[in-house]
Amino acid sequence: MSEFIVNYLFSLTLFSLIFNFVLSIYGLFFKPHYIKKVIALTIFSDTINVFAIYVGYRRWINGINPRPPVLIKPPTPGAISEFINSAVDPLPQALVLTAVVIGLAVTLFLIFLGYQLYKHYHTLDMREIRRLRG
Amino acid sequence: MRRSILHLTIILTLLLGLSLLASISWQWFVPGEWFKCPLQGIWCLPVFYLATTYNPELSNYTVNSPEAVTAIVWDYRGLDTLFETSVFYLALIAGIALARGASYKLPTGGELGLSKIVKTVSRLTLPMIITVGASIGLHGHLTPGGGFQGGATAAVAFMVAIVVFSIVFLVEHGVSKDRMLILRSIGLTGIGLTAVALFFAGLILGKNAYVFQNMAKPFAGLSFPWEVNSALISGTLWFFNLFEFLAVTAGFTIAFMLLAMSEAGSEEGVRHE
Repeated sequence: MSEFIVNYLFSLTLFSLIFNFVLSIYGLFFKPHYIKKVIALTIFSDTINVFAIYVGYRRWINGINPRPPVLIKPPTPGAISEFINSAVDPLPQALVLTAVVIGLAVTLFLIFLGYQLYKHYHTLDMREIRRLRG
Repeated sequence: MRRSILHLTIILTLLLGLSLLASISWQWFVPGEWFKCPLQGIWCLPVFYLATTYNPELSNYTVNSPEAVTAIVWDYRGLDTLFETSVFYLALIAGIALARGASYKLPTGGELGLSKIVKTVSRLTLPMIITVGASIGLHGHLTPGGGFQGGATAAVAFMVAIVVFSIVFLVEHGVSKDRMLILRSIGLTGIGLTAVALFFAGLILGKNAYVFQNMAKPFAGLSFPWEVNSALISGTLWFFNLFEFLAVTAGFTIAFMLLAMSEAGSEEGVRHE
């Protein structure tokens, strides 16, 4: 029964992520305001990052619950084999760390770009900016 | 109002029901046992990372860092992180270039910032925020964290100072945009020098060594000291974290200061264009 509950909560997380993904795509395409588009883009990239961490997760087996990939005991052979048997995959986490930094850089650039847009057009409504073009 | 409650109910029902279906058919949805390798006798990649991250018995492969994520970020896949750092700073330079033309006049006169209570509390907490950031950054090779996370935490202190005391407070205490640019450049230079340090040491000593080398490898025998006075520093990881901490703190502070200062000269900027 406990395994079923764990799986249920896990699937709930997965479907919430997919729902979040769809919502952020909707916001990105259909919200007219520039800042709202940027917020939707941030939610989108964070959802993708959580998906990536999800890939590196491992199942609960015989009461061994997954641990963060940090060795907290002295590095004896026994401690290391226990660590290998319980730690989650560190590679997606490292890649997500990289992706978070790149996402921050892109967001920073977009905010400066929005500032410049506001200086030129005195509005951040994308419909207005499209009409003012040329 | 009623409509939105209906929508919320539909969404929640869909989520809970689909999750129930998925948990009944869980084999196809929950990530499984990745450590069962398809090829016998060959180490799979995650197992390799986990087994060699801090293993004194495998002295030719280990990084001597108990934290596997930092070991991957700065050692196994160090070049990735170097280019990621350069992307971050290119974006920052693009931001500085886009914010050009505005004349940065400091606000003058009157009461600046928030009320006295907020200011007193902020005076107490600002050093603590910077301390926590430095701790996260410098313990990156031992506990979850690292230079980037620590730098982002410490930069929050400067943002709080801008909001609570106004930007004049920062400039009066010697945190100006140009000094932050210098600090950021020191951090980036440190990252570059740490990356090539062992390569040049190898050239001088006439031994094999490569760029971004941390510990000794079977074909390249040089290695950084991984223990100083029996405290673990994991070779290059500690230096990378320190310089990344400096660079990220300074970089974010520049961005916050530009965004906070631009308001004063925004009209001037329009006339320039």
